Amino acid sequence: MMDRSTLSRRGFLSASAAGCGLWSLSAFAQDPLPPAIDLSLDASPKEDSLFVKEAMHYKKLDALRVECRLCPRRCQVADQERGYCGVRENRGGTYFTLVHSRACTYHVDPIEKKPLFHFLPGTNAFSIATAGCNMECKFCQNWNISQFRPEQIRSLYLPPERLVKACGETHSKSLAFTYSEPVVFYEYMFDAAAAARPAGIRPVMISNGYIEPEAMKPLAAHLSGVKIDLKAFTEKFYRDTCSGELKPVLETLRLLKSLGMWFEIVVLLVPTLNDGEEEIRQMCKWIADELGPDVPVHFSRYHPTYKIQNLPPTPERTLVRAHEIARQQGLHFVYLGNVPGHPAESTYCPGCGEVVIGRYGYHITQMNLQDGKCKKCGRAIPGVWS
Amino acid sequence: MEGTSRRTFLRRTVATSLAIPLSASFGPFAVIASRPKSRVAQVVRPGLLGGKGFAAAARIPASSLVPLVEEAVRAATGISDIQTAWMTLVRPKDVIGIKVNALAGPGLSTRPALADAIAQSLQKAGVPAGNIILWDRSSAELKRAGYPLSTAKDRVRCFGSDSLPLPYERTPEAAGSIGSCFATLVSRYCTALINIPILKDHDLSGVSLGMKNFYGAIHNPNKYHDNCCDPFIADLSTHPHLRGKLRLVVVDGLAGQYHGGPSLKPQWGFPFEGLLAGADPVAVDRIGALIIEEQRKAHKMKSLAEDGRPPRFIATAARLGLGTDQPDEIEWKKI
Repeated sequence: MMDRSTLSRRGFLSASAAGCGLWSLSAFAQDPLPPAIDLSLDASPKEDSLFVKEAMHYKKLDALRVECRLCPRRCQVADQERGYCGVRENRGGTYFTLVHSRACTYHVDPIEKKPLFHFLPGTNAFSIATAGCNMECKFCQNWNISQFRPEQIRSLYLPPERLVKACGETHSKSLAFTYSEPVVFYEYMFDAAAAARPAGIRPVMISNGYIEPEAMKPLAAHLSGVKIDLKAFTEKFYRDTCSGELKPVLETLRLLKSLGMWFEIVVLLVPTLNDGEEEIRQMCKWIADELGPDVPVHFSRYHPTYKIQNLPPTPERTLVRAHEIARQQGLHFVYLGNVPGHPAESTYCPGCGEVVIGRYGYHITQMNLQDGKCKKCGRAIPGVWS
Repeated sequence: MEGTSRRTFLRRTVATSLAIPLSASFGPFAVIASRPKSRVAQVVRPGLLGGKGFAAAARIPASSLVPLVEEAVRAATGISDIQTAWMTLVRPKDVIGIKVNALAGPGLSTRPALADAIAQSLQKAGVPAGNIILWDRSSAELKRAGYPLSTAKDRVRCFGSDSLPLPYERTPEAAGSIGSCFATLVSRYCTALINIPILKDHDLSGVSLGMKNFYGAIHNPNKYHDNCCDPFIADLSTHPHLRGKLRLVVVDGLAGQYHGGPSLKPQWGFPFEGLLAGADPVAVDRIGALIIEEQRKAHKMKSLAEDGRPPRFIATAARLGLGTDQPDEIEWKKI
């Protein structure tokens, strides 16, 4: 404590300033809210005009309501509300996508990462996603984009023509709509795919397959390949773990087959939930009977994430057993995912058993295909090879 | 009640009317005590809108609404002194989040003047202005609904939870069927919540009142509209971020809507010209739903159930112990 009798004017001013600073610090420390609250709203109108376009595949109802016809949910959406996916909104009786050209992530991936093993092996896919999904898988590894609304995450303006250009810049042979759920950014995917094909880029959709046939058919005309996540083979798993339905996904697979679309299937095995041998057997039998033995099937490994964190990662032996069951059901091309170095990462000729494409992880170690045929025995190996 | 704080106990006690008929006999037909009722105060001022509907509701100044608010709070708590009444619900040190509903724009959002009136009354009761935050999920929606945004520390603040540096928690939290990232305004900053929904129906859940208004506190409400939003609305209200902090529900019924919600449909509006207030969120929603049903009946419309959207989440919330939806357990105090 300073002796008042010796306090100079300078000392007084100095002490006062220090006291004010302390008071300010004290007041700031007492404010329960963080200082950096951003009220800038100027960007919103501009963003709206860039990203918001009238949706495809919906029907207008009474009282300004709409029914979305994009996916089997058939959300009936009132004015000012959104569908389940969170990225389509009813404004005054017209339904809009909020995510056209609104990419929240992009990356150049090996095509094998999709995974597409019978599609331009060894090439790159320029991969994009927007926010949103029409399911909610409790084990979603991309939940921080799929389960959020577009205004809640950062996005970039990447219109279709920019995507095509980016493919060229990155030497990507494919443009992949992936990570979240491209069905919900249908209009963006549709326009981008339509722009990519004439430029020699192959558009591929990496999807849960939960889409109405009347939406899938026109889209398919612009796609070159599809990968479908077949979550399980029970309605219970789809309902309880994914908030979805199995039957429409099976219909999508049948449709892709009928359209002559190249497609592959991924099954993520979650311990105790969808890894039962009988279920896998029935699934593989259905695939062989309904889609044919040449459809590639990838069994993939679950890792704890999002809302299922109390289960262990899928044991390798579970994946190996699934592989055995699938081969027993007559499927020719069965792969294990997330098990780098396993022999079941490679493609084998169903005729002579030789390796036609060797892989380690996403890398091609050997290529024994010639004009889409096994080099050794000449058997045609189904896929998109050029 | 295990885990009940002194404040919560006091709040519940003064917010209910006790009906304890005692019997001198301890025989088999003795009535020992009946359950205290949940009080829902209804304060109506006929003529408040002057016959002019929604537009008039938006023009009532806050100064005219303060008396209405205070009468509702006094009636809801059963305490005649407004400062004492407020202090049974909040403390001066509380950071009070006043959750409005700004979804439907200027016509059918919680009126800014009403929110302002509540804030003014709280300040008169000793709550510093800077401790009061008018909020909804989106600053853009608040602005569109006519709220002047502000983050100044020495005044009542008004902004969307999306404007915080971290709008939502990074990990989802579970509450029954709900798994969501909560707005950090609710999870981290507010210590008390006052919920001021608007009196309106909803296309899917039947009604959009207090409990539905909390959909604005989570990042993914769009995932929870199946099955008439049941049990999702009720489950959400069980989370401690909400249940533990909610102090009062005040329903903005200056002008309500009985059909076509959640957005504005003036042709189905009605001049309720009043407020509902109560500490029991289930009871308040039940009374609000009854009022909407009465209007639908008066206008020869199907009931909500007949229209395929029964507000069944209210009964679910009662089963979860959030309050009561039974008419004989609710004191509907009309003033």
